[in-house]
Amino acid sequence: MGNVSNNAYALTCLSPIKKGHYSGTAYSDEVRRRLQQWGLHEQSPMAKVPQTYLTRFFVLDDVYYESLPGTDFGGTWYDILSIFSDRFRRAALPKEDHLESKYLVWCCNLHGDMDTYLRAMWHSIGDDIRSLWEFCYGFEDVKGADTFVHYIKQCQLSASLFFVGSNDASLEEQLKGLYLKQEFSRFAAEHQGLPPAELQQAYRAFIERVQPQNLAGPSWRPGQSRP
Amino acid sequence: MKKQLDLMDIQGNVLRAYGRYNFPLARYVFINIRDGARGRDFLKRVTERVTTAVSWGEGPDPIQKPLHTLNVAFTYQGLKALELPRASLIGFPMEFVMGMRPRADILGDDKRSAPEHWDPIWRDSRHRDRHKDVHAWLAINAQTPAALHDGYEELLQLVHDTAGGVLVLTGHRGDDGKENLAYQDVHVLFENGKPTSKEHFGYTDGIGDPVFEGMPSKPERVVGRGKQMKDGTWAPLETGEFILGHRDEAQEYPSAPSPQLLSRNGTFMVYRKLHENVGSFNQLVEEEGSKYPGGKELLAAKFVGRWRDNGAPLVSAPDATSKAAWDDRFSRAAPLEKDRMLSGFTYNDDMQGGKCPFSSHIRRINPRASLEFNKDAFDTPGALSNRRRVLRRGLPYGQVNDPTRDDGNHGIVIMMLNASISRQFEFVQQQWINYGNDFHAANEKDIILGNHGDDDAPSRAVIQVEPDSDDAPYILKKIPRLVETRGGDYFFVPSMTALRMMAQGIVDPT
Repeated sequence: MGNVSNNAYALTCLSPIKKGHYSGTAYSDEVRRRLQQWGLHEQSPMAKVPQTYLTRFFVLDDVYYESLPGTDFGGTWYDILSIFSDRFRRAALPKEDHLESKYLVWCCNLHGDMDTYLRAMWHSIGDDIRSLWEFCYGFEDVKGADTFVHYIKQCQLSASLFFVGSNDASLEEQLKGLYLKQEFSRFAAEHQGLPPAELQQAYRAFIERVQPQNLAGPSWRPGQSRP
Repeated sequence: MKKQLDLMDIQGNVLRAYGRYNFPLARYVFINIRDGARGRDFLKRVTERVTTAVSWGEGPDPIQKPLHTLNVAFTYQGLKALELPRASLIGFPMEFVMGMRPRADILGDDKRSAPEHWDPIWRDSRHRDRHKDVHAWLAINAQTPAALHDGYEELLQLVHDTAGGVLVLTGHRGDDGKENLAYQDVHVLFENGKPTSKEHFGYTDGIGDPVFEGMPSKPERVVGRGKQMKDGTWAPLETGEFILGHRDEAQEYPSAPSPQLLSRNGTFMVYRKLHENVGSFNQLVEEEGSKYPGGKELLAAKFVGRWRDNGAPLVSAPDATSKAAWDDRFSRAAPLEKDRMLSGFTYNDDMQGGKCPFSSHIRRINPRASLEFNKDAFDTPGALSNRRRVLRRGLPYGQVNDPTRDDGNHGIVIMMLNASISRQFEFVQQQWINYGNDFHAANEKDIILGNHGDDDAPSRAVIQVEPDSDDAPYILKKIPRLVETRGGDYFFVPSMTALRMMAQGIVDPT
């Protein structure tokens, strides 16, 4: 499947938002308002969901399509016939197409198996999920982790939209990689020009401190974006 | 027939860096226009004296080279004060309408470069009192001190004759802590009594200005200054990258206000007064130079991409041995060959930055074809640079009395001319000078011009080595801010036709 790249999974999910209002605010606007209350980076509820590489939510208001003029059946004829009646001229005008509802769009790159990920998500931030999807069609059937997984699969779009900037290693490994990169460039800057013996000693101390093999040791936090 | 520009319609400063034409002195005067009608009368008399881009002493009825020049440009507020029609005003680009001060975030003018630390004239302009707004720039370039005096007196007389319709703004900083000068003086720096093209850090400046279609320039000069073509030859850049009303590199006419007669043969100018922290610079070169394997002078060259003494490019003279050979050839070269040696190079054999570092000044402001990391990625190898070029004009100001100190009155006034301030100058400043991603150099900044000095994350730069070298790259681990912004604004440089129409009040966009 196109949305799997080794151990990385690209999830794209479109949940239609009901028409209606919440105390006078359109449901779609209320969903957007709630999203805008979510923090960014480490403050985002998604930072609490294990194995999230990168994720993004937005409300899609419409996708507007307009056909090229005169390309429909009979286009050129309608153009000519329009000298007889305005009805023909109108028939030759471009056709418009719009979405039937607004959508909550969720793009997420994650590590590992999607079912496991979604279950863990439900258990970590269930309240945030309920608050965000509350006004979407069909969400009233979501009662727990199992039904949430089922619901998301129903909304899933089969698209391989991967964010650039991560590989397929586990989140812990990627965070450790970012941490090591920062620490190592700092080490290189601070210790350049040392005699080999001293450099080796400093490097040993460095390795002991950063513990490259120990994922539970010093590392970046999920959601962290700056050293 | 080859394209020829209307040199008598274009202001002289657009095509000429006067300093290179034996005008070692200049004075910049800024005015506030209090009365539209008297402002236009003033402009009419100024326009009669404006120096055009015409080639001096050539042709059947030659125009002689003047002893002093005069050029003029306007801020958006200035155009409003001259009562340009609203339908023309709304056609100006947004960044020009805003001016430089509110663009500080984009330009990285923060901390000691922030507007509150600018010279009073720039700190007060477009701030609270509209009578302190800078409306126009008037520039006198002169061959001698006496000529500068004459040009300045003539200008003051014109201002005086407006009876208060036009006022000269004060508030330029100068020597001995002066804060309220009525003009900004600039001049070339002298070494042993001879004029040089150096600035206060000791670098040779003003090399390799772009060559574009229609310029009265020897065709050979296009090498290294125009655009690189696929077959390795060079062609002039399109005129519209620098002058409005002409086709640009996208084969379009640059966006410009109407009517066409208002904008054609005009351009936009960025004026920036940049203070040079000479003490910090010397300390950085001394401290790091004592540790850097190549020594102090090579390190200083790595900051810019050229050797300080004669501007030899590092890609052609990457070490002391090759530099000696280069110097030998340079000393015997004819003028055109000298120009080619200084400007005619590529980064094709230096894609790893082992010779000229990615964060060196010249690689940042004009990466040439080196952003094409995959060969043949574009129709022309320099496609990512060709639309980011600017014409650079300007001269140093003040002098260094104590080379161990940062304070004092010394720096450079740089004026950059381009058809689009946002696409050209601002892009280079934001993405290439203050950020390194396009160079695969993370958040490294231009070593000389970058807004270093964020103490949370010290500014670093890596001096790369050749890929097959056994040496380690050298890391500059804490670069101080070497250059600070002291003010400036965005200006429109009208053509002679536009100046005449503006002076008469007959600009008609309908």
